Amino acid sequence: MRCGFGTGTSYEKGSRKPEARSQKIQGISDLRHLTSDFIFLILTQMEESLQILKKFIFAVHPLQPEEWEAIAGIWQPVQYKRKTVLTAAGETERHLYFVLEGVQRAFYMDAHHPEATVVFTYAPSFSGIIDSFLTQLPSRYFLETLTASTMLRTTHQQIQHLMDRYPNIQRWILLSSSHAMRGVLERQIELLTYSAEEKFRVLLKRSPHVLQLIPHKYLASYLGIDASTFSKLLASVRIE
Amino acid sequence: MKTVNSLNLLDHLQNDTRQIMVKLNYLRHEDPEILVRQPSPGKWSVAQVIEHLNSYGRYYLPLLQKALDQSTWPANQSFTHSLLGSYFTRSMLPKENNRITNKMQAPKGHRPLVDIDSKTVMDEFEKQELLLLELLNKARQTDIGRLRIPISIAPFIKLKMGDVFGFLIAHHQRHFVQVKNTMSEVGSLRSENTGLV
Repeated sequence: MRCGFGTGTSYEKGSRKPEARSQKIQGISDLRHLTSDFIFLILTQMEESLQILKKFIFAVHPLQPEEWEAIAGIWQPVQYKRKTVLTAAGETERHLYFVLEGVQRAFYMDAHHPEATVVFTYAPSFSGIIDSFLTQLPSRYFLETLTASTMLRTTHQQIQHLMDRYPNIQRWILLSSSHAMRGVLERQIELLTYSAEEKFRVLLKRSPHVLQLIPHKYLASYLGIDASTFSKLLASVRIE
Repeated sequence: MKTVNSLNLLDHLQNDTRQIMVKLNYLRHEDPEILVRQPSPGKWSVAQVIEHLNSYGRYYLPLLQKALDQSTWPANQSFTHSLLGSYFTRSMLPKENNRITNKMQAPKGHRPLVDIDSKTVMDEFEKQELLLLELLNKARQTDIGRLRIPISIAPFIKLKMGDVFGFLIAHHQRHFVQVKNTMSEVGSLRSENTGLV
């Protein structure tokens, strides 16, 4: 399964719960303690998230310490509930996301065809409508969260700025987009030539965990097969 | 009154607007004939509901755009809802169980004709929603607590831009609950499985 720039390889289950914050607090000093603890918690989480991002980027293209520092400084942590629409068709993608938790999907819909799932993204990988992000032309796709999602987010403006300043960062973007394109073309072949069963087998062999992660109707739409065909295959096909 | 982070507020309003756009796109799968069917005489068809929203967009969007284009106020991190603004937004928003309990009568000039073309109406609403998303982006650069917009029913009352965005989008949400109810009343076969829930 293709995920934004790269390939999602793992997914950590269970989501953080921020409700603990909402307890009533008495006394200003308690409040100060809690605030500083909370800020500390956020900073540690941010540091961990950036390490995951660093590993992910460096696997594609290692950067100099100065370049990495510049990249590390442009991200903002964001959290979304399930079924939040992050980008609408017609709108230009301003954001690039790095997924830490949760599943997202990009899909296409028009008046005359059933909706088509273009891509799923999950941790660790980038998310966002990549063609619209890179070209700054209106997106033809919607992007939504399927489950509650924790991500890092940056803007096109910031990435553009870093690319102008650091040739090596531009090279990283080029390499990442090239890998993404490779994945898209490979999927073209699968969609054009494979039978429903072959597509099903390839998906489950490549990303078996998606069966637990993603509602089956979306998996069916990703493969371009009927939801009923999908459940029949699920019942009959054995994957070694 | 309640003070919030302006960027978070604008983020939320954008997400709500995009949600409406997904719902609008599901409506495009429906038979155009069903979209202009009134559930009972005098009750609005889906196309009429959307045209009702268009009529407000035609009033508010140019005003919001003009105010944003002319604004010299720098961005402000926090935004405080006004009493009146919160009241308007609360009265618009669907209740927890996704129901509309307080019915309202649409003011003159916002009562759509029965005989309208659903595609034209939906195309206009989609354009308006895209413009709204763009304006919510622009609003990040300025102070949505300083800019004020006269409201349509009483132009002598000016509300903070942040509140105008708030109740405009709550109004959309309110009427998309009505759209869902209308769809089930006019007997669409497809509405069960559309994203209108």
